[in-house]
Amino acid sequence: MFLNKRYNLFALFLIGFFIYIVSFLFDLQVLSRDTALSAIDNQTTDTFYITAPRGDIFDDQNERLATSSMEPHLFLNLRKIDDNNIEIYEQFIQYNFPDLDQDDFNKLFINRNNLEIVGNISTFSALERQKLLELDAFEIFDFPIRKYNYDNLTSHVIGYVGKPTSDDFDEFPHSKNTLQVGKNGLEKYYENTLTGIPGEIIFKGSEILEFTPPQKGNDISISLNIETQKIVKESLLQGIELANENEDTKDEVIRSASIVIDVNTGAIVSMVSLPDFNPNQFINGISNQDFEQLNRVQAFNNFAIQGLYPPGSVFKVVSYWLAENEGLFPEGLNSRRGRVDCKGSLSFGFDDGSQQVYQDWKEDGHGRVNLSSAMQQSCNVYFWDIALNIWRTYEGTQNESILQNYAKDLGFGELTNIDLPFERNGIIPDREVFEEWTVSRPDLVRPEGWLGGDLMNLIIGQGAITVTPIQVANAYKTLLTSTSSSPYLNLEASDNFKLKKYNVSDEFIDFLKNDLNLVTNKNGTAYAAFEVMGRKANDVGGKTGTAQNPGEKNNTSWFVGIDSVSNPQHVVVTVVEEGGSGSAIAAPISRRIIQHLISSELTPVRYGEITE
Amino acid sequence: MNARKITLLGPQGTNIFILLIFLFFIFISWFTLYTLTDFQGLEFDVDNILTRQVVFSVASIIVFFLLTYLSIDNLQNYANILFFIVVGLLGSLYFTQPRLGVRRWFDLGPIDIQPSEFAKVIIVVFVANYLSRNLNKGILIALIFGTVLLINFQPDLGTALIISFVFLSMLLLSNIKLRYVSLLLLTGVSLFFIFLEIGSRVDNINIVTQYQISRLNEFFSAELDFSQSQSRLLISSGGLFGQYFAAENIEKIFVPVETTDFIFAAYAYNFGFFGILFLLALWGLLFSRLRRILTVSNSDFDKFVIAGFIALLSFQIIINISTVVGLIPVTGLPFPLLSLGGSSMVSIAVIFGITNRIFIENNITI
Repeated sequence: MFLNKRYNLFALFLIGFFIYIVSFLFDLQVLSRDTALSAIDNQTTDTFYITAPRGDIFDDQNERLATSSMEPHLFLNLRKIDDNNIEIYEQFIQYNFPDLDQDDFNKLFINRNNLEIVGNISTFSALERQKLLELDAFEIFDFPIRKYNYDNLTSHVIGYVGKPTSDDFDEFPHSKNTLQVGKNGLEKYYENTLTGIPGEIIFKGSEILEFTPPQKGNDISISLNIETQKIVKESLLQGIELANENEDTKDEVIRSASIVIDVNTGAIVSMVSLPDFNPNQFINGISNQDFEQLNRVQAFNNFAIQGLYPPGSVFKVVSYWLAENEGLFPEGLNSRRGRVDCKGSLSFGFDDGSQQVYQDWKEDGHGRVNLSSAMQQSCNVYFWDIALNIWRTYEGTQNESILQNYAKDLGFGELTNIDLPFERNGIIPDREVFEEWTVSRPDLVRPEGWLGGDLMNLIIGQGAITVTPIQVANAYKTLLTSTSSSPYLNLEASDNFKLKKYNVSDEFIDFLKNDLNLVTNKNGTAYAAFEVMGRKANDVGGKTGTAQNPGEKNNTSWFVGIDSVSNPQHVVVTVVEEGGSGSAIAAPISRRIIQHLISSELTPVRYGEITE
Repeated sequence: MNARKITLLGPQGTNIFILLIFLFFIFISWFTLYTLTDFQGLEFDVDNILTRQVVFSVASIIVFFLLTYLSIDNLQNYANILFFIVVGLLGSLYFTQPRLGVRRWFDLGPIDIQPSEFAKVIIVVFVANYLSRNLNKGILIALIFGTVLLINFQPDLGTALIISFVFLSMLLLSNIKLRYVSLLLLTGVSLFFIFLEIGSRVDNINIVTQYQISRLNEFFSAELDFSQSQSRLLISSGGLFGQYFAAENIEKIFVPVETTDFIFAAYAYNFGFFGILFLLALWGLLFSRLRRILTVSNSDFDKFVIAGFIALLSFQIIINISTVVGLIPVTGLPFPLLSLGGSSMVSIAVIFGITNRIFIENNITI
């Protein structure tokens, strides 16, 4: 039985409801509208940023070197924490994150105005996550984890990321909105490319209104070849081991660097600096103890671009080029074919009447040498003779610093502007520098200032001169290709890295290649190191360097190699700090690298011979 | 019979008024959602809210016309079977994966089906059939109570409450003694508070979830839920005529679930107080039209179904608006034919389709 009378009653009841609601809406929209509008004006929101995943870094074979994965993390909304509920959250966090150390745990609750990351929960089950979310102040967001797939192998090239500091804020304003900023290597140099757009969490009071997910940064592809990198590091380690076996000095040999540069483009194919570190250690926070230990051995320095060493005989290439280009040979000679008689020492008189004797590394002398054989055997006397000639011809004139000008023109004393941070420029000493130092650093120079002896030292890469391995590599590249450019890693590097014409004649290039080739062949200073290659050594070339260090320190071992004199593709520069003779250590290391570059069979790094 | 056949739209024609008002509500929904797409309009994209709603609307219109093929006799015959099917579906929800801690949907790829939306309609039909046959009301009360509990455990407090209200209203309209209805109402209210008390003391009992409790606690502590305070501000900024027609531009404020449960706030913002009056007047017009069946029809089933539908739609509108303006706690009910959502749209289309058929069988075509 349907009762119509009761329906009328029911309808009245419904109409009453509707009237009440309409009057309520009238109040909202008309009567108290102004109050609402001012409330809207007073509403403020603020934003918390979620770090974006950084772009990946690929090597020349598209091998992924660095990547970012999004992993779920538990966040604590501290605006919802008060004295009443803080204990619950403390217990929850301690129970679920037993690895969190006390310091970090305490830090969590300090800033009561924020979202804080509690920890990675990618290993938590769905049920455990849901349990956490039942607590109001817990939120789950994805947070990027940076992963370096080759650990130590790329530590100095790729660098690492860390939490931004106030310095980073100045350098990269966007880092205020991220928890990861490049601290070193490509990560720092290409920070603006790699960093993405952070996600935004919009807060109204303690409530989260809106979440915009972050956007990944741009990938970069670099010229590094990870296979070559492996071989280079292996070879350096073998060389270091060898150096330690043969050294009698008390200091252990640990620092070294090696660079492989593509001579035709200026692209870096490999760059290794030892000791290295594992950048993945920084991701979960490196312990102070580990950090101190790495810092003590200078593991964070990339010696390939930051190591400052006297170059020794590898620097002779500058005066070699000067002699050819200026026709400025030892006194009395006017071509590269002219010879001087090297008796193992050079003595000459200064204007003040005093007599100076310079001793070549080979006591009984190299015999009659011309420019080629002086290069081949690294004869100091021949180059000293050039220095004497410069000194006697130009002393006190504009051209007094002609050697330094040649050096600077080849990039020594200047940054190469490779696309890596913290590069150092070294020093090419001249009269001006010495005068400045007599004031600012009197301990470094004699009060007399710049003397002929200083030029004698400079021409064989000794004395106050310091260079970086990358400068040496780039200078050889310039002379071998008659182009100058900044070396680079990023394949999409800007126009600054384009090749510029450098005036070197083809004739000179042929001479240079030929003479570098002599070094690795019979009678050359690197012959012992390259002998193992047999006939394949016929096409390679190089220059050894052994730089003396002040005090007790052993010599710095240098080698510059080219993989082919007929068709140069790569220049290899190796330096082993306190490694001893260049012929003995750096040359065989580079030889093994060159074996890899020309796809020849690898043979272990074996001790060469002591020269220079 | 042939005289009634005015269109191809059903075997026996269609009621023009019901069809037009149904389409008009759908159009209002599209227009409101269009303003929420930042006036981007339709895009060929399953995530575009307007596109979704248009697809749902087409499905709803098809369902509307299909329902006019279903004679009221057949509907009455199938009422019991339909009821048990719906109870079965609600029960089988317990075997689905919970989403956000709630088991409320069957996941069918791009769309989800929410059986409790259909349960509301079918319970009205079932109860109408039961009451019109004048059977034992004790059994009916037990059956509906069980169903309400089942829905409450999903948990879906809003639907559970609305079914209770609709059922009580329909009971009230039958020949049951008024004191029984009052007793039932009292029992229901006390049971609700007892469950609330148990739920807040015992964590593991899933009668009322922590979520619901925190919602209700917020409400009783007289502090407005955040989303409600925001929607209230949004409604206020609509003013008399609405922002859609106004030159002044008030910065849009954030309202959660603006396209579904809180769409009324967006409507009020765009079309103002007059827009609300217009919308509610349309519903009032519909209800007053439906009332004609109560005087014209000889069938108690027709009357109970129509009265049940009026109760269902009114309560849903009242509860939805009350939620959006913060008069009652957030329950999660859509606004009929305005909110984005396939299950809701289609279930309301079922109501309009059945109503249409009742009108046709009672010879009312306009």
